Amino acid sequence: MMPIWTKSGKKHAVTLLKVQDCHVLKYISKEESGGKTAKLLVGGKNASPFSKSESAMEIFREAGVPRKQKVTMFNVTDDALVKPGTPLYAAHFRPGQFVDVTAKTIGKGFQGVMKRWGFKGQPASHGQTKTHRRPGALSTNKAAKVYRGKKMPGKMGNIYRTSFGLKVWRINTKHDIIYVNGSVPGHTNCLVKVKDTKLPTYKECNKNPPFPTFFADGDEKLPEDLYDEEMFQFTDPSVTYT
Amino acid sequence: ACRASSDEKPAKFQPPPKPVIIDKLKQIEERRFLSPEFIPPRGRTDPLKFFIERKDMIQRRKVFNIPEFYVGHILAVTTADLYAKDKVNRFVGICIQRGGKGLGATFVLRNVIEDQGVEICYELYNPRIQAIEVLKLEKRLDDNLMYLRDALPEYSTFDVNMKPETRLDHEEIPINKLQVRMKPKPWSKRWERPKYNIKGIKFELPEKVMKEAQKWSQPWLEFDMLREYDTSKIEEKIWKEVNEELKK
Repeated sequence: MMPIWTKSGKKHAVTLLKVQDCHVLKYISKEESGGKTAKLLVGGKNASPFSKSESAMEIFREAGVPRKQKVTMFNVTDDALVKPGTPLYAAHFRPGQFVDVTAKTIGKGFQGVMKRWGFKGQPASHGQTKTHRRPGALSTNKAAKVYRGKKMPGKMGNIYRTSFGLKVWRINTKHDIIYVNGSVPGHTNCLVKVKDTKLPTYKECNKNPPFPTFFADGDEKLPEDLYDEEMFQFTDPSVTYT
Repeated sequence: ACRASSDEKPAKFQPPPKPVIIDKLKQIEERRFLSPEFIPPRGRTDPLKFFIERKDMIQRRKVFNIPEFYVGHILAVTTADLYAKDKVNRFVGICIQRGGKGLGATFVLRNVIEDQGVEICYELYNPRIQAIEVLKLEKRLDDNLMYLRDALPEYSTFDVNMKPETRLDHEEIPINKLQVRMKPKPWSKRWERPKYNIKGIKFELPEKVMKEAQKWSQPWLEFDMLREYDTSKIEEKIWKEVNEELKK
């Protein structure tokens, strides 16, 4: 995470996400998948092909791509389909767009009810016998049972969670890095899925993206760094107020 | 009188004095100062992140000059402030602490203005900073001068209109071996304890208290091998990289 300053002098915190060897693996049509739209399988970071079975490696062999550590599905409309085997780059996103980031949260192991669900516990003194961090009552008298989904101690973390509506401040095309506003679930160097926002407030900001994706061998030559309009670039002189 | 016209013996040939070449480049290079925020902390972060951060930091340094300074120097910082007169705010103070790594590096300046102690934490790479001037160069015995909060206010007062001191040589920043006198106890932290390792206070406490404080000493810490973080090689690499980029 890094600080970023706007042209008006405000500071924001930013997370760096690296797009490492992403390729489109497979196209699944609407009828095959049984959903409302067609799906595209996308694979992330390269990994060793020797620890997976032959049947699992079939997808990678067909696409002509080394084995990927993480494979995710994206719901895609028919006009935005990409041929399997094309590499995906960070320039697929542009500064000013809004993005949802999904990842597995940091695993905390077996945790008690105060840390896991934020219960208040009991006082530390004034006669409390062996009861300081316990859940207390589980249900009412009339219910005569404990409801399903009751908050109780258990394994915390290591589940998929999403942060919605994160602004993209900057894209580095040389190293394929996306600067995303705020914090993102997961530990450092964990694998993460980045999608366009589903929030309706940012629908207009996501217009005119590189469609269907950014092709490196195409005609468009991008500069090494793409900045958002409001962001302060370090090549400018210091901020002054008038 | 011309020597050729006279009939005296020609004077013995005096060779001209050999010129003494002072290689100034070599002198400057003898003292290497790498700002502490360039050194990456120990952790599992990808070195690419530090490389990209360093590029940004060097870019900022090309546009805006951040002078070399240590804890104990007296600095004057002018920042752009929306709610100030003339939209510009100038603060003079002694640097008591330098923290943070990368772009978020900070330094805290302390001064006593009209009997009120004021500490301001500035970010080195904040674009609102217009200028940083070094007014007085002197290192102190410690890396962290937080104990000035519990010292007598005369040790933290500095004239707001102080004139900047010019650097004489390119070597040897003087170390001020001042022993500061403290206000009566209680202090904000127990500075006599060995974990703070403060050499710049004149402790006027009774012997018993000083001996009791030594109970909290942890003499095994300096031999702990897991805590060792040798930065010499990393520093050299980063020093070369930073210098090359700055010269461009």
